Amino acid sequence: MEDLFANLSHGFAVAVSLENLFLCLIGVVIGTLVGILPGVGPIATIAMLLPLTFNFDPTGALIMLAGIYYGAQYGGSTTAILINIPGEATSVVTTIDGHQMARQGRAGVALGTAALVSFFAGTVATVVVAALGEPLTRVALLFGPAEYFALMVLGLAFAVVLAQGSLLKATAMILLGVLLSTVGSDLETGEERLTFGLAELADGIDFVVLAMGLFGFAEILRNLESPESRNVVKAKIGRLLPNWEDFRQSFMPMLRGTGLGAILGILPGNGAVLGPFASYAVEKKLAKDPSRFGKGAIEGVAGPEAANNAGAQTAFIPLLTMGIPPNAVMALMVGAMTIHGIIPGPQVMTKNPDLFWGMVASMWIGNAMLLVINMPLIGIWVRLLNVPYRLMFATILLFCAIGIYSVNNDPSDVLMTAFFGLAGYVFIKLGFEPAPLLLGFVLGRLMEEKLRQALILSRGDFATFIENPVSAFLLLLSLVVVVVAIVPAIRQKKEEALNS
Amino acid sequence: MQNLLAGIILVLIAAIASLQASELSIGTLRHIGPGMVPSALSAFVALIGVCLIVTWMRGHRSGTGRWPTRGPLFILGAAVVFGLIIRPLGLAVAGPLLVVVAAFASHETRWGEILAFAVGMTVFCLVLFKYLLTLPIPVAPWLIGY
Repeated sequence: MEDLFANLSHGFAVAVSLENLFLCLIGVVIGTLVGILPGVGPIATIAMLLPLTFNFDPTGALIMLAGIYYGAQYGGSTTAILINIPGEATSVVTTIDGHQMARQGRAGVALGTAALVSFFAGTVATVVVAALGEPLTRVALLFGPAEYFALMVLGLAFAVVLAQGSLLKATAMILLGVLLSTVGSDLETGEERLTFGLAELADGIDFVVLAMGLFGFAEILRNLESPESRNVVKAKIGRLLPNWEDFRQSFMPMLRGTGLGAILGILPGNGAVLGPFASYAVEKKLAKDPSRFGKGAIEGVAGPEAANNAGAQTAFIPLLTMGIPPNAVMALMVGAMTIHGIIPGPQVMTKNPDLFWGMVASMWIGNAMLLVINMPLIGIWVRLLNVPYRLMFATILLFCAIGIYSVNNDPSDVLMTAFFGLAGYVFIKLGFEPAPLLLGFVLGRLMEEKLRQALILSRGDFATFIENPVSAFLLLLSLVVVVVAIVPAIRQKKEEALNS
Repeated sequence: MQNLLAGIILVLIAAIASLQASELSIGTLRHIGPGMVPSALSAFVALIGVCLIVTWMRGHRSGTGRWPTRGPLFILGAAVVFGLIIRPLGLAVAGPLLVVVAAFASHETRWGEILAFAVGMTVFCLVLFKYLLTLPIPVAPWLIGY
């Protein structure tokens, strides 16, 4: 416990330096912005802004990128409430009751509640991250190659199960991602693999190139096809602060949502997206009058919003302690860390304590900033919703192009990104979701390395994965997760939840 | 059609990858060679591709929707143009050109607006990336030498 406070105060000392405060502020403002603008996701934004961080020290850079991520969660709710379009995948649930509240002239209360519960959830989640960071890192340091491999299998199993649409297609995307990660020189012999003799591919496919193509470019293509239909609530926003009655109704949902979101967020394979759905289901079940849900029940905003933000924060735990990114945004953070010369994994906490604790502390500071900038600035954000997409997409494209070029100062990267943009567009058209591919790509190298190490240690005996109790448990769990998802009844429920 | 096409594409990718990997040594389980993981993965991908083709044959024939060409052509084209001319001509030319080419992708484009926007955006990016963040991106090598 004392360690926790000592570490946190060390973190705060790092995070309150003028530069880091400034970067945190920039991060959360940009994050809110992209969260609000539909069609600009946090993945594309972080990839786009990566070159902006080249001149900063790694701690500052990651503080800013993290700010973009959880800022986007905040901004996404604003769009969900005001125009009934989820700015981010995790704010889908907020559209249900949040938008109804807005139609009843209570947009301000919905926005205010969302901001307040998010701040509360963020505060709790920051403490959870700090408290679990050290013990989990210690566990991770004990992991051998077999356990690591099994853990990554579990992460990918979750990613398959939680992906939208067909399980078969999600599995294909994961495998393709891992396959793409093998491009480049072999980690042991240095032989060139799958490079088609191209010198550009000798070092492997650049993560930023892949992410920008699949998300940045392909997203623009998809958005251009669906004509804009934004019906911003024209009614008045009204008062922002919830009154006593609103507060009383939101308090318990906020606590439950925070707990659910924090736990689900730790799960590998993007458990955070489940948080809001789980919270909404729980609140509806516990409510005295469930028929109010869908007609502007404040509990339907408070619970999911808390879960959403708590999950966004605890999703950093697998990344910071084990070096395993649980979702595509975290995968991008791995890319950012590597560019800044930091190898993600349990050693980050001991080797770069400034980075680890500074980032944890900055999350709380960032959440406080979000509360302060979101409440008074809502009017400005609403006006931003009227920026036409015909100007936005050109801007995004230009920023992407400059960003990609600047990563390696290599024009061929831009061409390769265009290629992956085309691939991503075709995949989306054929019903494949690109996020699992990115996750497979990021975990691929490490997985192959650990697999090969484990088999060398066991002299080629696959039984090592089953004889080792930890890896046996993790592999069994992966199997259970996948089998359960195939069971038709559960599959139907999942589809209902993800598509509602 | 969707699953048929998806399946065929997966099988094709797997075929290309395993062809590329065929020159690499597979190794043994005791000591895995560079070729084993790519070959194994290609086999799995091909298997899923075949499964998708089978589901198509068994009647899951959801459509593929529309395939407009205008968006992909001009958006990706704009990026390719940018990549090709950024080194010789610099951001001062590549920037506005990217915006203008990309503008062909949308039928909502207003040309007066987009031209002014292209110039303004490029100036903004030059100030931000070149002068504030000092990234080594070429500005106009043919005019000012960098």
